[in-house]
Amino acid sequence: MTTTYKIPVGPLHVALEEPMYFKIELQGETIAGVEITAGHVHRGIEYLTSKRNFMQNVILTERVCSLCSNSHPTTFCMALEQIAGIEIPERAEFLRTIADETKRVASNLFNVGILAHIVGFDSLFMHVMEIREIMQDVKETLYGNRMDLAANCIGGVRYDLDAEQRAYLRAQIARVEPLLGEVRKLYETNRTILSRTRGVGVLSKSEALQLALVGPVARGSGVDYDVRKKAPYAAYDKLEFPVVTQQDGDIWSRAMVRIREAQVALDILKQCVDKMREGPIAVTPLPEIPAGEAIAKSEAPRGELIYYLRTDGSDKPSRLKWRVPSYMNWSALSPMMKGNKVADVAIIVNSIDPCISCTER
Amino acid sequence: MNQELKDLLDRDLTGRVEGRCGVEWKTNRKGVTVAWCRLENGSDLLSVAELLKTSCARLSTITASLPEHARANGMHEIAYHFDFDGDTLTVQVRIPLDDEVDSLVPTFPNADWNEREFMELYSIKVRGCIDHRRLFIDEKIDPAVLDRLIPFSTLVNAASTKTLWERILGKGSEGKQ
Repeated sequence: MTTTYKIPVGPLHVALEEPMYFKIELQGETIAGVEITAGHVHRGIEYLTSKRNFMQNVILTERVCSLCSNSHPTTFCMALEQIAGIEIPERAEFLRTIADETKRVASNLFNVGILAHIVGFDSLFMHVMEIREIMQDVKETLYGNRMDLAANCIGGVRYDLDAEQRAYLRAQIARVEPLLGEVRKLYETNRTILSRTRGVGVLSKSEALQLALVGPVARGSGVDYDVRKKAPYAAYDKLEFPVVTQQDGDIWSRAMVRIREAQVALDILKQCVDKMREGPIAVTPLPEIPAGEAIAKSEAPRGELIYYLRTDGSDKPSRLKWRVPSYMNWSALSPMMKGNKVADVAIIVNSIDPCISCTER
Repeated sequence: MNQELKDLLDRDLTGRVEGRCGVEWKTNRKGVTVAWCRLENGSDLLSVAELLKTSCARLSTITASLPEHARANGMHEIAYHFDFDGDTLTVQVRIPLDDEVDSLVPTFPNADWNEREFMELYSIKVRGCIDHRRLFIDEKIDPAVLDRLIPFSTLVNAASTKTLWERILGKGSEGKQ
């Protein structure tokens, strides 16, 4: 007779950077099911936005989480600009793209670095984090901060890049590119990485579509959807880049999507620096924000981020709602975990690159 | 969104949406379309959802709200945002405060967390919902609690800080006397 029992993982766990509680149902060492209990960092931020004016909400939304912090104010501003009929200047479109892609490189490298840590390959973890540190330096140098860039404002951006700063950005990209190429080869060939990630935590394309998953989690299962291509915003319609997909749907596929997307992001950054023309960086003066409603979408590092905004003619949102990519991707854990070993719980959870602060708001 | 799909949605949703214009379509300069409609009757929601599913829609998210005008009329507003390969159709329904709305989980399994969230944040009842457990807020806390509690930010805003400071200064001057 097979005995089924449950073990708790979390809410505080060494492999989770934020709190989430999993009840793992086991048959022997094999996972039979998982139940997720959320709510440990719910802060009521959506409600709070209706008590703050639009300017304050640009600041507030940037603080929803740290790794994809730039995507929130960008998408909030896009929704507000849609209601007000504001077309941001072309240079601002490129500068928004640069801020987003810089964050993407740093965010994706953080996730694949943690993957190496979970499999016990700590020298690789430290190497990836060292590469990521170059992008952290880029953020600190260009924006004055390592996480929250404060790049956005309603009608454009709050920063510009002069010739010296653009040269600096090019030089840092040139430093990261070969290092990232080496790291990619390691993830493609190293036996320790492959033995813990190939064929583990598999999610089929049909399951990804059924659960409406987004971002690298969906693209790792062959779903060819990227907001930057499907619903272009900022300068993405002026740039050449591929949508990265993998077909196998395992942990390794998701990691490879993230590494390749970091490489694509570096290429996008170079294109932006080359194609960006002189011009204004924001619309001034700003018009009154009328009553209205809007939907805005962007491709955050973890996937599709969608904002719904309704205004009533005052200076505060009547309703602001956002759905982050992680919100959808939690449901993938159940099919990913079933049939795998209990030892793989942490690495499977990491493979959806979950953001709990974003999920709970 | 291609014209064929637009025509199909226009045709199939006509008669179920408020206003003579039917579905309102807007396409921006980058070619991204956003469409809006409000169902006259909330009970049409399930059949509309099934229709959208057959047109390859993906449920992006659901927004529940209780704006002042809706509160005055005793109605919740719920907006269902569907993705069509990058374009978005938002279908809105109004539900009386004490009424129920149909669950979309049988058609769109990812509606689950969205519905559980608006059940706890807006106290909206969902018909046919399989999972009634709280998502984020503890069971001991009343539903729709954010509409009733005084936000911490109000509690510690500049006015109360000034009041507190005046009280401290007042205490100080009492001490000197």
